[in-house]
Amino acid sequence: MQLFVRRYGTLIGFVAILVFFSAVLPGTFPTARNWLNITQQVSMLMVVAAGMTIVMVMGDFDLSVGSAASLAGIVAALMMAAGQPIWAAVAVALLVGLLGGAFNGAMVSLVGILPFIATLATMTMFSGLAFVVSGGKTISGRAIPEDFGNFARGGIPLGEWGGVAISLPNLSIIAIVVVLAVWVLLEQTTYGRRLYAIGGNMEAAHLSGIAVKRLRLIAFSLTGLAAAAGGLMYASRVASANPVQGSGLMLNAIAAVFLGTTMSRHGEPRILATVVGVIVLGVLDNGLTQMSVDSYVRQVLVGALILLAVAASSVTQGRR
Amino acid sequence: MAPSVPLLSATSVTKAYAGVPALSGASLVVAPGEIHALMGENGAGKSTLIKILAGVVAADTAEITVNGERVSIDSTKAAYRLGLRFIHQEFNVVPTLSVAENIFMGRRYPRRAGLLVDWAELNREAQRALDRLGIDHIDPSQNLGALSLGDQMLVRISAALLDDAKLYVMDEPTAALTRDESERLFRVLREIRASGSSVLYVSHRLDEIMALCDKATVLRDGRSIDSGALTNITHDDLVALMIGRKVEEAYPKATAKPRETTVFAASRLATVGLNPVSFSLREGEVLGIAGLSGSGQAELIRSIFGDAKVTAGTMTLSGAPYTPSTPAAAWQSRVAYVPRERRAEGLVMRRPIFENITLAHLKRQSRAGTWLTPNREKRFAAELGANMRLKAVGPAQDVLELSGGNQQKVVFAKAVAGNPRLLLLEEPTRGVDVGAKYDIYSIVRELTAKGAAVILVSSDLPELIGISDRIAVMRQGEITTIVDAAGLREDDLINLCYGRATGMVA
Repeated sequence: MQLFVRRYGTLIGFVAILVFFSAVLPGTFPTARNWLNITQQVSMLMVVAAGMTIVMVMGDFDLSVGSAASLAGIVAALMMAAGQPIWAAVAVALLVGLLGGAFNGAMVSLVGILPFIATLATMTMFSGLAFVVSGGKTISGRAIPEDFGNFARGGIPLGEWGGVAISLPNLSIIAIVVVLAVWVLLEQTTYGRRLYAIGGNMEAAHLSGIAVKRLRLIAFSLTGLAAAAGGLMYASRVASANPVQGSGLMLNAIAAVFLGTTMSRHGEPRILATVVGVIVLGVLDNGLTQMSVDSYVRQVLVGALILLAVAASSVTQGRR
Repeated sequence: MAPSVPLLSATSVTKAYAGVPALSGASLVVAPGEIHALMGENGAGKSTLIKILAGVVAADTAEITVNGERVSIDSTKAAYRLGLRFIHQEFNVVPTLSVAENIFMGRRYPRRAGLLVDWAELNREAQRALDRLGIDHIDPSQNLGALSLGDQMLVRISAALLDDAKLYVMDEPTAALTRDESERLFRVLREIRASGSSVLYVSHRLDEIMALCDKATVLRDGRSIDSGALTNITHDDLVALMIGRKVEEAYPKATAKPRETTVFAASRLATVGLNPVSFSLREGEVLGIAGLSGSGQAELIRSIFGDAKVTAGTMTLSGAPYTPSTPAAAWQSRVAYVPRERRAEGLVMRRPIFENITLAHLKRQSRAGTWLTPNREKRFAAELGANMRLKAVGPAQDVLELSGGNQQKVVFAKAVAGNPRLLLLEEPTRGVDVGAKYDIYSIVRELTAKGAAVILVSSDLPELIGISDRIAVMRQGEITTIVDAAGLREDDLINLCYGRATGMVA
């Protein structure tokens, strides 16, 4: 029974939330349109949380993903404002994320700074950089090419449902592709296997011939890359960029991974569990907004729910 | 002898974990003033029984009396109040606090004016506690973490001996101790017995038990098989009781002699903590390394395994220069390693058996070195496991759930999986029961028969003599001598380790 609560408590809670919202909001919540909408709302968080899962598999953290997302958005917007083509702006922004992540990885694995400290420092650095290069201003309006903003509004038409045309948003497609890529990486490749070994016992992994330093560096780079992708998606969705727009992503990404860990056997991060974690957060946000619950109250509720889920899974893990 | 009231009696003890019985009606009776051995293979139920007595685990059924009175031990506090003291294998200490603070942890520190801690007095009292074990080389104000594992264990034992309890339960207390330290501990245990208190002594070292203990209780598969005085029983009888079958030999005989071809050679090899050493190993040869702990054995092994920066000298493997810069390079050259601490260094406890085995061989155990092939890995692991009599539900079982001996077999399976040319072993059978020990020695024999060379670092002298062809003695970072193992006596080997003159020609 206890084991059951530990493994499936979060899923049961999720179902309870779905039932509750469907009962309270029968006309607007359980509709295909709303669900497609949710997938779009959570797509940025999904991409960032998928990247976060990679470092958390090794038992590490990256607190800088929010700042990296903002910075990537700003860099792309500035380049587009300077008349560069969209593809170049996107490529450079992704490169900035990759390099920022590699910098984190170098601090953590080569220099040996605790991830918490190292990424706390780079979080401030990336945020500061975003302000410096943008002059603290929001870049929007004519500076952003229409095509860039249109991308987030577009999607693949799925037909009609209840007389309304619905489509799978482009941003959701990107999120799905990223999740699939991370799933393949973590679950199907020797690289993922080695990351899990590092997370389980770094010394044993090292003595088994795993290049711990190099793998950690690569993992942080990938997390940075995903953060930049999330930042670009955000910028496209609001057709503008400002130096703080990614700041909410970091805590939510870590919360989603943690929610996910409550569903795995030994509490290790799993990408598909992270997906559930992200959707739980997204559904809560969506439902509570529709019920016009005040956004501050929403924060309290979401925080309490995370505590509840993690507590339920640790209660049975053994008393100390 | 008049029937006396037992100090501790636990009967009809049963306990199942998730439906799997760990104890099924075990019993244990300890009289006052005796040293009582609790014996059995890993997984026989010793740890569970001790945890029940310590109040850490609740028994499903149990009748426990202390001095004839029925008691229930539902918490560690209850066990403490009943006068039971526990010294565990994995001792709970705080390495960043001083020796004295650790000794007095959970007790009231001596105070000045009832308020400020009187540190000088605390250190003096700690020194008195250490004196009881005849320890004069440990400074009580030193950080505990700075001490060797053996010294930490001694500190832990002195703390448990501080107040006079009725029964001291010791789980493998000598695992990390040198012979001298063990002897000192045994002296104190005999003093305890003389004072009327008792000791419940758990160990895999039969020689110790035969020399130290008065009585023994043998557990097998969660039942007490036998209990009685140790006066009229032989070493072999005890082993047979524990594993339930006769064992003719503790060490399997080598089937072939070492060949002439040299596998590995070190020439004036040196690193920090290792003065230049030279030796060579032939195909099928086992070179034992003896010496007091910290004599440079670890440094030697780590240099050969690419985990320590070699400062001077050269190595060759099958005649070619061998310069591993990382453990990965060592594995690549088919040099395998079984580290000293299987939990901390050898295994990823929360991952399946097969993942642990293939971890060092993923390049070959995958498609194109990239794509995992778990089914193939599982078949491979199951085959290796069956070959070394690994007891597990299947290759997908988590290592965490295995007994110590079977965990060690997984470490060996990982080492053997790459068909090594040179196998480095550090304390390969520490905390492993008799049956699994034999299986592990058989693995070593099988490898040497195929032509692999083995370097065996061990503090278990009978094992060194029983398995090695030659034994190198290390002292203060140097190899002082290399002797033939055949016909070597333990006493001679000890003297060599201490650098004392012996009657034999080395």
